[in-house]
Amino acid sequence: MNKHLIKFVLNGEPREILVEPNELLMNVVRERESLTGTKYGCGIGECGACAVHVDGQPLLSCIVLAADVDGREVVTVEGIGSYGQLDPVQEAFLDEGGVQCGYCTPGMVVMSRALLNENPNPTELEVRHYMRGSLCRCTGYSGIVRAVLSAAEKESSGKAVPVAS
Amino acid sequence: MSVQTPQHRYVGERLVRVEDPRLLRGRGQYVDDIDLPGMAHAAFVRSPFPHARINGIDVEAALALDGVFGIFTGKDLNHLAGPLIAGRNDYGGATLGSDLLETKRQLLAADKARHVGDAVAVVVARDRYLAEDACELVHVDWEPLPAVVDANEALSDDSPRVDEALASNNIVHKDFETGDVQAAMDSAPHVFRKRFHHGRCHPAPLEPRGIIADWTTGADRGVTVWISHQMAHLMRTYLSELLQMPEGRLRVIVPDVGGGFGLKAHLFTEDVVIPLVSRALDRPVKWIEDRYENLAASNHAREVFCDIEAAADDDGRLLALRMKFLGDVGAYSPVPYTPWIDVGMAAKSMLGSYDIDNVGYTTDAVLTNKCPTGAYRGVGQTVGQCARESIVDDVARKLDIDPFELRLRNCIGDEPRVNPIGPHHYDGGSYAECLRKARDVLGYDELRERQLELREQGRYIGIGICNFMEHGAWGSKTYRAHGADRPFIDLVRLTVEPGGSVVVATGLTPNGQGHETTFAQLAADALGADLEQVRVVQADTERTPFSMGTRGSRSGVVGSGAILRAAEDLREKMAQIAAHQLEAAVEDIEFGGGKASVRGAPSQALTFREIAQIAYFAPEKQPEDIGEPALVSTRSYDPDPTYGNGTVVAVVEVDVKTGIVKTERIVFVEDCGVVLNPMIVDGQIAGGVAQGIGQSLLEQLAYDVDGQLLSGTLKDFLYPTAGDVPSVEIAHVVTPSPATTSGMKGVAESGIIATPAAVVNAVADALSPFSVEVDHTPITPNDVRALLRAAQASSQAATT
Repeated sequence: MNKHLIKFVLNGEPREILVEPNELLMNVVRERESLTGTKYGCGIGECGACAVHVDGQPLLSCIVLAADVDGREVVTVEGIGSYGQLDPVQEAFLDEGGVQCGYCTPGMVVMSRALLNENPNPTELEVRHYMRGSLCRCTGYSGIVRAVLSAAEKESSGKAVPVAS
Repeated sequence: MSVQTPQHRYVGERLVRVEDPRLLRGRGQYVDDIDLPGMAHAAFVRSPFPHARINGIDVEAALALDGVFGIFTGKDLNHLAGPLIAGRNDYGGATLGSDLLETKRQLLAADKARHVGDAVAVVVARDRYLAEDACELVHVDWEPLPAVVDANEALSDDSPRVDEALASNNIVHKDFETGDVQAAMDSAPHVFRKRFHHGRCHPAPLEPRGIIADWTTGADRGVTVWISHQMAHLMRTYLSELLQMPEGRLRVIVPDVGGGFGLKAHLFTEDVVIPLVSRALDRPVKWIEDRYENLAASNHAREVFCDIEAAADDDGRLLALRMKFLGDVGAYSPVPYTPWIDVGMAAKSMLGSYDIDNVGYTTDAVLTNKCPTGAYRGVGQTVGQCARESIVDDVARKLDIDPFELRLRNCIGDEPRVNPIGPHHYDGGSYAECLRKARDVLGYDELRERQLELREQGRYIGIGICNFMEHGAWGSKTYRAHGADRPFIDLVRLTVEPGGSVVVATGLTPNGQGHETTFAQLAADALGADLEQVRVVQADTERTPFSMGTRGSRSGVVGSGAILRAAEDLREKMAQIAAHQLEAAVEDIEFGGGKASVRGAPSQALTFREIAQIAYFAPEKQPEDIGEPALVSTRSYDPDPTYGNGTVVAVVEVDVKTGIVKTERIVFVEDCGVVLNPMIVDGQIAGGVAQGIGQSLLEQLAYDVDGQLLSGTLKDFLYPTAGDVPSVEIAHVVTPSPATTSGMKGVAESGIIATPAAVVNAVADALSPFSVEVDHTPITPNDVRALLRAAQASSQAATT
């Protein structure tokens, strides 16, 4: 099989790498770029643990071929917030008990950020609907839903500003 | 000498977790995130058949692939270690002795595969892609055999045997009776019977299992294992015995764990295979379970048929309760616990907070050609509550007594008392109070009115109650009472370092419970330190003292007990140093804010750093009778068992056209004694509730009649999503436990123990106008429709 040379932007940095035609974006992010925040949970796009932003849209990296991000911009959880300044979504997960084992957390952060970028003032029902593709086995979603609503409230009232990479 | 106990500043507070910033930034480190130089990747060849003889395995074509380092079958590995035998080489499992027929599980199935997913070979290659490709090229000469699929049929003499070495498929039978159940049944005005089938469940943590082994040879011979697990030290003990490697040369490190729920509190064959292939290939080897393997070949849980009989008088007072639990336990006994745990714990929890004199049970665990069943959060207790609460509602419905009222009539008192079904004393609780409080929070009377109004509009809501107990804080006494006569030792080492830092080192092995936060809260309060001074080190056998691990709702209680004891030792030593330096009496030294000060003269104070500097570096400033000055203490704590209690009410709406059940509300009133961190306790409850909703309505591990697994992906096995679970309405009642130092009780399992029974009862209540019997889980939309169609058919038959 012929390898493809792909050029893309990863968390703000330009990258050029050779990938196998069947290589998944998740593998490139985790194995080749050592950005291990992106997680494997199901391998078929059902659990959302591998979510990343591609050109600002949330995509599931376990069912996206790496070759398909040629020329595009990818942001992983590592590109959201920083240690000095967590993104308001991350801050809200911290405050509202949105994290237990932490394994779904990167995907949840990526999806929550995407939701608020799309819809700054979601209702609880809209949050629950949008997040249906992100599975959590620990929290029962209570803390997660509270966190997204709280981040939305803070951002739309100007008390907090999203932190992009 | 009496040293002052500091004021609580952190315990009971809703503190945010210190773990979270790194997890939120994707900087957690789970097993699959670890990369070692030269590391190879393993994949397993697994049986596509439920039961099949292996006539040969040809690995030539696979081995010829460039980048495949080795392929191993049972012939290569089984003589090196094993077999795995539950209930014997167990350490912390249930030792059932002669009551148990032992299954001997080889590392890789060599003669026969006994369930779909049973591993027969392991391929090790440069990367996982290649290893998977090579698995496809391994040719196994299978000879399919008739499979044992139904546990009820497995009991018959002419059923095939899952394990020919055993006299029967039924590997454990135990029974118990107190009072005279039959006499009570015979003389009772009403006897109710039903059969309830509790469906197969799966802990299904979002992070599958995973292990890396690095076996080095030569002078530095030893094995380092990174594993996603709940019991670091016990894993070392198991591997030490099986690999014949002294514990001093074996290091088990548990990094961040993406959920365990009991699944990761077992020893699996892969955990032994991976170190062995690391040795054979002289390189580190990683294996990460994929989701199919997780669903097909790790452990399922609690498939139990319950035959239930209850006797009551005209007022609904329960006179006798008898249950027969028949477990469909799969192909092998899980190590260490044995498959008795589900039926056994179902039986032990069947009585709960009900005041019934005549109680009896039988338990049987029957092998089938399905995935083995093991511990899953709420082990068996979920089944026991479902069986009891389901028949209690039948009694209420048939005698036309309100279900809250019926439960109150049969409720025990709050004081500590003998548990007639054994083996422990209840440590007291708030059994009736929780029922009343749940009714109030719910707005019960209005909701019943609303139910009637909606019925007029063709909408069916149901209200289901479960009054539950949670058996927690498992330690020596608990295990001894359940037949495992081994002590439980859990050590915590508490150190004040020379610079004044406090380090808590514990082998308790968290998987989402937030011990880095809660243990720091406990240690800070117990020493009078600031929270920021405390660091928690955990789950690495080389850096922490021995522990039996995190399971059975025990870590909070066990950890707090040991931390309190060790902190008392340290306070005594620090008070001696401070008193000597400040020229005060030891009794007058107070701790708080990271300082020791003289009572009534707060400016007379030494910081922890100043005290530690004296302890470590300034012998001339130490009192003469200080003894060993180092500020370290290693203590253990082995609690008496605790019984948390509470009441859960589920409100559901059933769409009778589609069969879809929507959980509208969950009211959860909980008494777990003293609460350490309300945010974490509420999080444990909400998570358990979601799992409970999942297992009662959504999650299904279906096998077809031939024993083929139909639920091998997350498209088939349905986790509850954010759209399936309501925000849980939680209320607390606090009855401090007299059984534990901290007054805490185990709490981590209550959500899943209690919610399924409430949901099942709510569905039954919603469908009560249709005279259908809800008798199994999960209750899928298809099941609801089938019940309604059958009811319609029989009512039409009756009218024609």
